[in-house]
Amino acid sequence: MHFLSVENLHLSFRSPNGKSHSVVQVPAFSMEHNQQIAIKGPSGSGKTTFLHMLAGVLTPDSGQILIDGQSLGAMNESDRDQLRSGTIGYIFQSFNLLNGFSCMENLLLAMSLNGSSNFDRARSLLDKVGLGDRKDHLPGQLSIGQQQRVAIARALINRPKLVLADEPTGNLDPSNTDRSLELLCSLCKEWESALILVSHDPRVIGKFEHQIDWEELNQVKEPEEVEVEKL
Amino acid sequence: MAAISVSLRLARRALRQNLLSTLVAVFTVSLSGGLFLGAWKTKQSVKLAFAHSAGGFDAVLGARGSQLQIVLNALFHLENSPGNLDWEQYETIRSHPGVSEAYPFALGDNYLGYRLVGTIPELFLNHQWRSGKNYQVRSPGRIFSDSAKEALVGAEVARELGLQLGDRFHPYHGLEYNPDRKHNDIYLVVGILEPTGTPTDQVIWIPLRGVQTMEGHDPEEANSISGVLLNLKGSSGLALDVKYNKQGDRATLAWPVPAILSSFFNRFAWLERSVAALALLMALVGGLIILATLRTTMHERRREFAVLRCMGASRTVVTGSILWQSILLSAFGALGSWIIYFLLSMAVSSLIHLQIGVGMNLPILDGMALLTGVGILLLGLVSAWFPARKLYRSSLQESLNPHG
Repeated sequence: MHFLSVENLHLSFRSPNGKSHSVVQVPAFSMEHNQQIAIKGPSGSGKTTFLHMLAGVLTPDSGQILIDGQSLGAMNESDRDQLRSGTIGYIFQSFNLLNGFSCMENLLLAMSLNGSSNFDRARSLLDKVGLGDRKDHLPGQLSIGQQQRVAIARALINRPKLVLADEPTGNLDPSNTDRSLELLCSLCKEWESALILVSHDPRVIGKFEHQIDWEELNQVKEPEEVEVEKL
Repeated sequence: MAAISVSLRLARRALRQNLLSTLVAVFTVSLSGGLFLGAWKTKQSVKLAFAHSAGGFDAVLGARGSQLQIVLNALFHLENSPGNLDWEQYETIRSHPGVSEAYPFALGDNYLGYRLVGTIPELFLNHQWRSGKNYQVRSPGRIFSDSAKEALVGAEVARELGLQLGDRFHPYHGLEYNPDRKHNDIYLVVGILEPTGTPTDQVIWIPLRGVQTMEGHDPEEANSISGVLLNLKGSSGLALDVKYNKQGDRATLAWPVPAILSSFFNRFAWLERSVAALALLMALVGGLIILATLRTTMHERRREFAVLRCMGASRTVVTGSILWQSILLSAFGALGSWIIYFLLSMAVSSLIHLQIGVGMNLPILDGMALLTGVGILLLGLVSAWFPARKLYRSSLQESLNPHG
């Protein structure tokens, strides 16, 4: 059995004029434990929407998503919340660290949502991403690259089985891009987390062994620019 | 428990992040609660304090006039005397079988703004100004002699003017201090009263004959007094009321003192109502400010809520953070209300004591204060209810994409 499998996934949005527009139409997709996959595709083509469905944030109109043998469609909202807090780590393009919280507190909050609190583990992870000496800094006091490293640490703090990274290097310079990618991939490998990374940047995609072209995966050819706003 | 803890942490952080609007909301709520509580409690305390400060007398006999004016003048040393009584009237009421105590007093002079009240030494020897409490003279010291130019000084006057045993002073004519109206008489301080927390502390007591025969006073009034302080036996008040107020036309019996004081406070009912209306209006403003603060916060935190939901926070956690935010705002508001109430009460208490010598009890956190705190918390919860409900009902999809 695959760790993650998707079958006949379909989602459409209704536009203000009442018309229904298909955004995602994925007949089949699967990945294994610990696998790292990069999905490439242009901006506004429905990649983020696909990740949101995998995370249980959006409910598809039809189709099935199985994660580690569990069907998202069969879960109630509370189960999906638990899945997101424990099994899935999500990395946003704009990092979305919680502004009033220090680096350490951002990590501890993610742990709290999963019902645990381990200061040592959080500190150790911050050390690992090279920010041990900045654990008490607020996000606004960090560089963009440092913020993304905190975001990676936050997504991984609960040792999720699946990490979803939505254009995680979109706001980074080439140097920080390389460093963040290396960090993300090595941590996922070390902690045996599967990773799906979506990006429009061929340079980023090129660093992955397993690459998927979104335009081949998604059967909707003209998604009509109604993608969900990026966080 | 974890959800509550996370919600609380988020709420605390949100309050800190919006410190200015938080402080404005807390201050407004505190002010409205404090004003409401202060107005309510001050009214109660002042009434009680006045009732306890009547000096242990049931009635006052004065010249024909207003009962309230007689009471305020005789017991609280406020207002002017409506006129004088003959000495014979004092002797008549003193010998009445329904009267247990009768002390004549005469007014007309002051020392640096503090009233001189002439009376007889028996007032300080026999009378209990509160049940079981006689006047005490600080040692060394004594009560004035009936036939000497001696003064017994109230505790507050002695403190304010620094009067000590052996000091001498010239009285001034009239109840208000006027440096041009100094009498030639010289009085010797022979005693200082222990504090009583009543208007007695604000007065300099001298012999009755001293006021009657003060240099410059009308010799024809040497046999007159301002009134008589009375304690009555049983139900004799009714009979005396009929005799003096219904049938007589030369004097007024101010009786019963508590009822007269109550009528005095009824005069200020409009003020009470105005303050209460103002406080309620401010409570409404406080509620609206909490609502506005929460709505602003919700708008600013929309993205934060979406991120939290993506991290696995449940609706309960994010909604709870809004409710906690409101509860914390209200709790600080309630605390602030109590502080403002304390400060307000202390200020009013000190002002009243300074002006008329009536001592008020220190404010305490009693049932009404706690009820006001609970009311403020409820106000906060009601204000938070609609934004919280809206947040709870919005799906994560809406949070991520507010345009639909």
